[in-house]
Amino acid sequence: MKILIAIDDTDNLESRGTGEIASLIAEDLRQRGWGSCSFITRHQLFVHPDIPYTSHNSAMCFFADIGEGRLEPVIELVGAFLERESAEGSDPGLCVAVPGAMASARELSAFGRRAKQEVVTMEEAYQLAHRLGVHLSQHGGTGQGVIGALAGAGLRLGGNDGRLKGSLEFAHPYRVLRVGELLQHPLVDAVRCVAGGALREEDLVAIGEKPKTVLLDGASVLLVSAAAEKGSGACWQTLHRKQLRGY
Amino acid sequence: MWRKDERGGREFALGPESWTAAARSASECRAFAPDVEEEQVAEEERSCYNCRFRRWSRASFTCLGLPPLP
Repeated sequence: MKILIAIDDTDNLESRGTGEIASLIAEDLRQRGWGSCSFITRHQLFVHPDIPYTSHNSAMCFFADIGEGRLEPVIELVGAFLERESAEGSDPGLCVAVPGAMASARELSAFGRRAKQEVVTMEEAYQLAHRLGVHLSQHGGTGQGVIGALAGAGLRLGGNDGRLKGSLEFAHPYRVLRVGELLQHPLVDAVRCVAGGALREEDLVAIGEKPKTVLLDGASVLLVSAAAEKGSGACWQTLHRKQLRGY
Repeated sequence: MWRKDERGGREFALGPESWTAAARSASECRAFAPDVEEEQVAEEERSCYNCRFRRWSRASFTCLGLPPLP
């Protein structure tokens, strides 16, 4: 059974981030043999003075493929994990959605997009979750994190938001790879030019520090731009961190 | 480089894309601490934009690591 797990607001200014908590949850599910987990994505939410987040207001989300009958145990396990591991003063929220059993994936995705543009209330989040048949729960503090958790799930499900938590790792510290070689990486579904230019499989791409993919059209896409320096022979380069900021 | 935001906090006056200034400010800052990797946006490791005490605002960011402006 494919499920979506999203969490938000588990951290404070001194603690480990929500992304690390998400990684630990995914690893725990794997180690228990309860299922396999996808890469984790980070989703930026609305920045507004009325929203009491710590420093980011971003939610973390991943898919998990779990065995039949495991849904409730997973929800219980993750909820308990958040209560135990979330930082003091945080307001953790958990969303667990089953895309195949949801009343409307479109509505959940729309909620995610809304949460990037306007202030949304906990009440709205709970009402929507209930109507869609999606699990939403709070695990400490004000529980404000339920908004981001539900939004994060919607954004991941929509497939057109977010960037990879972590970065692409290669067997060797390559400086240059062909597009075709990049497509062999398990986390790379596509390589695209950010300006829309056409790429060929034999084109060389200069690999920058800590390259990341972004979620576009449901795919994990490595975006590239025209290479600034031609010395390496590469006509493309992976985007710099600051160019990925808007994803 | 700093101004008061609408709630009296210390806001970076140069907005969210003054990369050189943000790096310079962090280089001189005793409170700088790197944020988690997935929240870092600047190429320079030591940049206010990469600090765990920066709280993004609509126009820029507020610094939670230094005292408020007088």
